[in-house]
Amino acid sequence: MFKYMKKYWIFAVLAAAFMIAEVYVDMLQPKLMAEIVDSGILGLGNNGTPDIALIKTTGIKMVLVVLLGGLCGMLSGATSNICSQGFGNRIRKLCFDKIMHLSFQQTDSFTTGSLITRVTNDVSQVERLVSQMVRGFIRCLMFMFVGTFTLMSLNVHFLAVVACAFPLVLLDIILILRRVNPMFSEQQARIDAMNTVVQEDIKGVRVIKAFIQEKREGERFNKANTDLADMQFKILMTLAFLRPVMNIILNLATVAIIYIGGFQVKAGAMQPGEVMAAVTYISQILSGMMMLAMIFQTLSRGMASVKRLNEILDTDPVIVGGDQVTDKSTPAAIEFRDVHFRYPTGVQQEMLHDINLTVAPGETLAIIGATGSGKTSIVNLIARYYDVTSGQVLVDGIDVRDYDLKALRDKIAFVTQKNELFSTTIRDNVTLGAPDATDAEIEAAARAAQSWGFIQEQPNGLNTAVAEGGMSLSGGQRQRVAITRALLKGSGILIFDDSTSALDLKTEAALYKELNTHYRGITKVVIAQRIATIMRADRIAVLSGGTIIACAPHDELMQTCEEYREIADSQMKKGGAA
Amino acid sequence: MSSQTSTSRNNTQMQGIGMGMGRGGGRRNMGAPIEKPKDSKGTLRRLLAYFANERGRVLLMFAIVTASVVLGLIAPGLLSRAIDSITQHNFEALPRLLILMLLCYVVNSAVGLLQEYIGAGMSLRITKQMRAELFNTTIDLPVAYIDNHSHGDLISRMTNDAENISNVISSSLTSLFSGILTLIGTVAVMLWYSPRLTLLSCSVIVFSVLFTQFLSKFIRRFYVKRQQLLGQINGIVEEKINNFKTVTAYNLQDAVIEDFNQTSDELARTGITAEIISSAMGPVMNMLSNISFVVVAVFGAYYVLNGSITVGVISAFIIYSKQFSRPVNALSQLYGSIQTAMAGAERIFEIQDAPPEDKSGDVHMETTKGVIEFKHVDFSYVPEKKVINDFNLHIEAGKKIALVGSTGSGKTTVVNLLMRFYDIDSGEITLDGVNIKDIDCHDLRDLVGIVLQDTVLFTDTIENNLTYAHRDATREEILSAAVSSKVDRIVQALPEGYQTMLLDQGDNLSQGERQLVAIGRAFLSKPYILILDEATSNIDTKTETDIQDAMVELMKGRTSLIIAHRLSTIQDADLIVVMDQGSIVETGTHEELLAKGGVYYELYMTQFAGQET
Repeated sequence: MFKYMKKYWIFAVLAAAFMIAEVYVDMLQPKLMAEIVDSGILGLGNNGTPDIALIKTTGIKMVLVVLLGGLCGMLSGATSNICSQGFGNRIRKLCFDKIMHLSFQQTDSFTTGSLITRVTNDVSQVERLVSQMVRGFIRCLMFMFVGTFTLMSLNVHFLAVVACAFPLVLLDIILILRRVNPMFSEQQARIDAMNTVVQEDIKGVRVIKAFIQEKREGERFNKANTDLADMQFKILMTLAFLRPVMNIILNLATVAIIYIGGFQVKAGAMQPGEVMAAVTYISQILSGMMMLAMIFQTLSRGMASVKRLNEILDTDPVIVGGDQVTDKSTPAAIEFRDVHFRYPTGVQQEMLHDINLTVAPGETLAIIGATGSGKTSIVNLIARYYDVTSGQVLVDGIDVRDYDLKALRDKIAFVTQKNELFSTTIRDNVTLGAPDATDAEIEAAARAAQSWGFIQEQPNGLNTAVAEGGMSLSGGQRQRVAITRALLKGSGILIFDDSTSALDLKTEAALYKELNTHYRGITKVVIAQRIATIMRADRIAVLSGGTIIACAPHDELMQTCEEYREIADSQMKKGGAA
Repeated sequence: MSSQTSTSRNNTQMQGIGMGMGRGGGRRNMGAPIEKPKDSKGTLRRLLAYFANERGRVLLMFAIVTASVVLGLIAPGLLSRAIDSITQHNFEALPRLLILMLLCYVVNSAVGLLQEYIGAGMSLRITKQMRAELFNTTIDLPVAYIDNHSHGDLISRMTNDAENISNVISSSLTSLFSGILTLIGTVAVMLWYSPRLTLLSCSVIVFSVLFTQFLSKFIRRFYVKRQQLLGQINGIVEEKINNFKTVTAYNLQDAVIEDFNQTSDELARTGITAEIISSAMGPVMNMLSNISFVVVAVFGAYYVLNGSITVGVISAFIIYSKQFSRPVNALSQLYGSIQTAMAGAERIFEIQDAPPEDKSGDVHMETTKGVIEFKHVDFSYVPEKKVINDFNLHIEAGKKIALVGSTGSGKTTVVNLLMRFYDIDSGEITLDGVNIKDIDCHDLRDLVGIVLQDTVLFTDTIENNLTYAHRDATREEILSAAVSSKVDRIVQALPEGYQTMLLDQGDNLSQGERQLVAIGRAFLSKPYILILDEATSNIDTKTETDIQDAMVELMKGRTSLIIAHRLSTIQDADLIVVMDQGSIVETGTHEELLAKGGVYYELYMTQFAGQET
């Protein structure tokens, strides 16, 4: 992934350089102060005569150094942000671009939720990682190494203090983190458990009230609530040791420095001001270590995000188009030849087998069958949402795999089972496939799709915004908006994947009447659960166990197909039909 | 110190480890938007009431904080004396001073640990209590309230808000106290050492705090804008990935990417601006604190020379001025975080103040004949939009009544009213001649069993789901209910039988199977009256036949009300009620209605005869 960093390396290097400069300048301070104390006040270099001029010049030097340090710090902040966020932006765009070109089997295996988290959260984590690495990490290292070095330059004996304190701090961090990390996953599980109770109970409030179980649900919640609080307490108590123990180590080190310093001054190897500086340095070194512990946390979280983003970036779409083009609106013939299909991810079971089927241009073919019998898979293969495992799907005699993907999908108006509306206006939603549609064209399609009536009733008609996920419309209305959109697209093939299930029978009947008069010429493939919906289709394919067991008009199927008759009977009750 | 504990608690991640020394964590929230509470005083009083139960601990906490502040003040003094003894070559005094210092530090750390212990316990107990109270109020809210509020919002109040509030309040309480104490103590000690040096170094710090305040206000709007853009990005990604099939079907990829890139670029621009300014805050603060360091060093040197202080005082001052700036910063941020917490608390109190469900009614009813009557019932969910209009219906004991009509005709509303999930606007509903408003609400609901269209199951074993309303059901009762509801067939296919856990509200069963379990549950609740809301679609024919058979079994000998979405199930109903726009348009048996040739006839013809072409 870091190959996409190219444009931003320069900023990263600059940020690191400025950070080094800032810390370096910062670390000059205690030394300068030691000079004020030793040479200025105590006049040690001057036979005990205080040197006021030196105090003044050193003071000015210190102010300049401070200003320089601040400037470097700001520049480091600016460059590191340009680097991390520019890089994050680049990755975000690349990932989204990649996702939009993935094939279904790939988005399926990533799952929607995880794709969303990757593009949003993981990118932020990576941004944080980059900025931490170029600034925080460098800062810590500088504090630790330059601090140690300067400390040693003051007096070699101080090295012993650092050498003792360092492993202790490390041990403290490691021991506590090792204990606490498994607790975090347990805590997450308990948070989830509590959320589950709340979610279920809010969703199922009617059932709880109907069965008068408020008290019991209260107890259930109470248990989850207590479990969570107990775990959190355990975690907090474990973590609580981290800080005091570190403080003790830090303070011990300070005391040791003074103690050793005292001896050195006594022996004449050091001056008092230098002891003061050493106290400041040791606290900087140890705080650098503590910061490092935090940075490692960011690092491990960040690397997990990098891995997840790389998974997207390294994925290439498995379904790529050929170069065959076709006219969008002419009705097409569809043919399945010995098609076998299994979903590339998940269950290894064959979804479809030995499918042989032809649909003539302008014909209406209905598909019926139990849940899981493979109805949706069949239509998915026509639009090449998935590829056949073996056999061929042909549109107008040409294998769908030879078509340019765009051309193929332009040719098909597909109404999905789940009504996918976008949070924009109704107009924008229906003209997705025909951006230049005139109002008259929209109205004609909407009338046919039985949506014109309720669209008119919306506060702003066609220009009414659809709320997120289409929630402002009822299920039936959403289906009709999706159908309007498909009709307006003007493709030669129309596919309904159980797209009228929420319509009442009267509306559904009116819709099909329109389709059969105004859109007669289009090739239609209709999946439905209700016999009433499909009985007037030219032919009905009955799907069972992944293959077509019969394909004929309704009346014929009633005579010849046992399975079809059973479905019909169960929906109509024998002899009930007029 | 205490603000540190709150970060670790909020994120539950490891950020608490950051010692607050670096520029890492903390500063991120500096520009975070502050929410404003509507009634600060009242809300604060209610919040503090939670702490009243913890009075003893709060006092103990104050004592501990005082000890810690005092120790924090003594230690630098000892350090100063240690340095002086080195400067004056008085090495005999050194070990004693160092041992005192060590003692001071160790005690301080122990005290810090104790503070964490009490603080964490207190805030967790309060979170727990707040949550429990909120849950109990929520579960007692009228169905109408829950229907009209976003579920996600209700959930987040119960889980996130409650925790944040108690954290902020309990940590603010201590940091307010310790902050003020430290401030007074530090200034006092500093003044005692050198009034002039105190004035100098404090003025630099106060200036730096004021500057930060100004800066964070300035950044805030960038952060708000960034937050909005982030929301937009989330929205785009979520929508486009959720609707991926449509995006591909309409070849919208390029347009969608273009749109995304624009938002993403804008986010990056705003983010960079916001972060550059906020990351400048670190160096600026650092610069100011270094300037105060220089001030202490240079002016301290002068004062040492004119004999008003010793060298050790300089080194003590360096520590004191750091100690001084910490509470000043903390206190200046306290206001914002308390405001935000109180706004969150108001959201919680808003739910707690919502009137609970009206469960009044003092007529106790153990059994019922099951005679139901609707008399001139009017009802509307929102004023002026009537859903049920002058509804009159008499249901005789033990009969099977079917409600038929298109979506929005008010079928489901009738159930809501009969169960007292909603109260009617006018008219009355009676059971055995008694107005249901006068019947004890629990008794009423105990008499009625329902099977809803959207099946609700709980994350628990199948057995516990079946016995949901009847905990002490015997093995035989469970088995017989399972047989009648065809649940036994599902159970046989499951590895752990009745003890199989239903995950995610029964996601490991198909929709049809879930409905069967719900029917089984209704069997075991042994209702006198039954309400069945048919599942609409997407159930395969086999399972549907099972469901219908199970329902027929369940209805035997009970007054039953069926909300029918398909006409095939209800042809043998004793009475079919055809509804349209909240009123009854036709009633009669299947044959009568067909003979009549009205609305029902039309519905029936379209469904069973297929569409006309």
